[in-house]
Amino acid sequence: MSQTHILRLDSVVKRFGGLTAVNGVSLAIAEGEFFTIVGPSGSGKTTLLRMLAGMDTPSSGDILLRGERINDMPANQRPTCMVFQSLALFPHRTVGQNIEFALKIRGVDAATRKARALELMAQLRLPADYYGKSVTKCSGGERQRVALARSLAYDPAILFFDEPLSAIDYKLRKTLEKELKDIHRETGKTFVYITHSLEEAMVMSDRIGVMCAGEMVQVGTPDEIYTAPRTRFVSEFMGDVNVVPVRLGPDGRLHSDDPPSVFKAPTLPEGFARGHLVVRPESMRFVERAEQADNHVAGRLYNEYALGSRIQYQVRVGERVFIVERLRQQAFAGRLDDAVLIGWDAANSLVVGD
Amino acid sequence: MGAGARWRHPLVWAWAATVLVFMYVPALCLLLASLTSSRYFIFPITKWGVAWWEKTFDSLEIHALFRTSISVALCLTVVAVVIAFCGALAFARYQWRGRTLFQRLVLLPIFFPQSVLGLALLLWFSALGLDLSWRTAVFAHLVWIAPVVTLVIAIQVYSFDPALEEAAFDLGASRWQVFREVTLPVLFPGVFSGALFAFLLSWGNFPLSLFSTGADTTIPEYLYAKMVAGYTPGVPVLGTVSTVGAAVLLLVGYLLIRLGRRSRRDDAVERT
Repeated sequence: MSQTHILRLDSVVKRFGGLTAVNGVSLAIAEGEFFTIVGPSGSGKTTLLRMLAGMDTPSSGDILLRGERINDMPANQRPTCMVFQSLALFPHRTVGQNIEFALKIRGVDAATRKARALELMAQLRLPADYYGKSVTKCSGGERQRVALARSLAYDPAILFFDEPLSAIDYKLRKTLEKELKDIHRETGKTFVYITHSLEEAMVMSDRIGVMCAGEMVQVGTPDEIYTAPRTRFVSEFMGDVNVVPVRLGPDGRLHSDDPPSVFKAPTLPEGFARGHLVVRPESMRFVERAEQADNHVAGRLYNEYALGSRIQYQVRVGERVFIVERLRQQAFAGRLDDAVLIGWDAANSLVVGD
Repeated sequence: MGAGARWRHPLVWAWAATVLVFMYVPALCLLLASLTSSRYFIFPITKWGVAWWEKTFDSLEIHALFRTSISVALCLTVVAVVIAFCGALAFARYQWRGRTLFQRLVLLPIFFPQSVLGLALLLWFSALGLDLSWRTAVFAHLVWIAPVVTLVIAIQVYSFDPALEEAAFDLGASRWQVFREVTLPVLFPGVFSGALFAFLLSWGNFPLSLFSTGADTTIPEYLYAKMVAGYTPGVPVLGTVSTVGAAVLLLVGYLLIRLGRRSRRDDAVERT
């Protein structure tokens, strides 16, 4: 099993003075995997990536590359390469010179370098006549491709990505996400990607690791992270969800103080006593009578937002706001401030810890 | 009314012209004053001629002046740029304890009155028993000019993305290759401007030279001495040459930077 793991982290810790940026992360990344680390700013994901790339050294713990401890191996000796958030393209060089940089450092002759650069440009759909173009004259999307080509020219065993798409507008980002996944498939290399957008992670990754306050709180496939978040943090990181604090009553049902109610429980993890009930907005629905769903709450329709293909409704229940989402074609006919009844089935809910 | 229309307003042009006239007419008068064949300074000029130009260029004394001024300025430029480049990295690139203090200390000599600085240096030179010559002048100029050049280069360093160095290092370059392939070329425009500043500030400097050159004389020192006693139209000749020389150097420097940028692009295109 360990043979197929290209990268292993063993209780990796990084402290900066009194601050612990990464707190005991253990992880194994498989050969050829697209692994994404997601987390909000300050969760330690960039620090973790910098240690993997060799730009920072762990305070304790080990990083193993194909079984070899590489904690203190500097970045220029690691068979890994990083695509930076700022892309860090050399502004005084052309597209071709940027892509060829690693080959030039290795002493590869000019003709071979150029052939390889043009090959990579073709693969990344950069026109061949961009070879002599100054990188400062390229558009955002082109610069992304140049940065990726430059890293691929190094022929790394692992490619790291430090939020390279965060500064790009939505539409182009969506295109580039898919392209990146295609490139991953074509090259078969291991990709380790960090982002603060779980949506971005979902599109591209084989597996996702969610970080919070320096710790890796959950690792799983996109499907697992989406359908079975283990903590309140992970479930809320997915986007808008309904979260209600509950405790398990002696009757086997979930009791809530706000709103004061009792809910039918989904399958509970062993030893569950108190935590949060999570219901996705698309699992919530408007009902006419209480019997139409396992659980229900009564409130007032407070506002509605068009989200493109879906419409989101906010329903106020006391001080708490519940959200319901429906497809545009099935828009709810209610008017604002109408009294409404919303409900969900226990099977479509789950409970999580803190 | 758009911004474009505002710029075309005649008053704007009149104002700009006035400013330019005030700035450049004195320099022009210098040129006119040199084009007399009279021994004295009489304005308006009655007898035109270039006799003083010939006399000045033939004078061995003047040749010596140029040698001294150029020696000081060239040596100073080399030393100042090396010191200031390292200083600028410490000033703007790296985070370290005492950086703020360093930034303040570097700036201080710039605001120190130069004549006082010159005198202080003279006291030091004699205390240390150093013979005054153009070499001590290099040192004296350095005290004032190195901080200025540090600031000029630091401006370029501030806009430098440290990720560029990390990226080059990550792509397999050694520390030295990172410096040669990325840091230096990206910062080069700043270094070049810094060098121009160093040369020109030294070229025109009077108060520091006055106290530190000893028996050697630079052009500004000579001009001052001649104006105080022994004026000839050779003074405006030398003044004009010195000013035009500086202007030409600036212009050539600017063209070189532009040319450098273009040739790099053309090189790359040719290789395609």
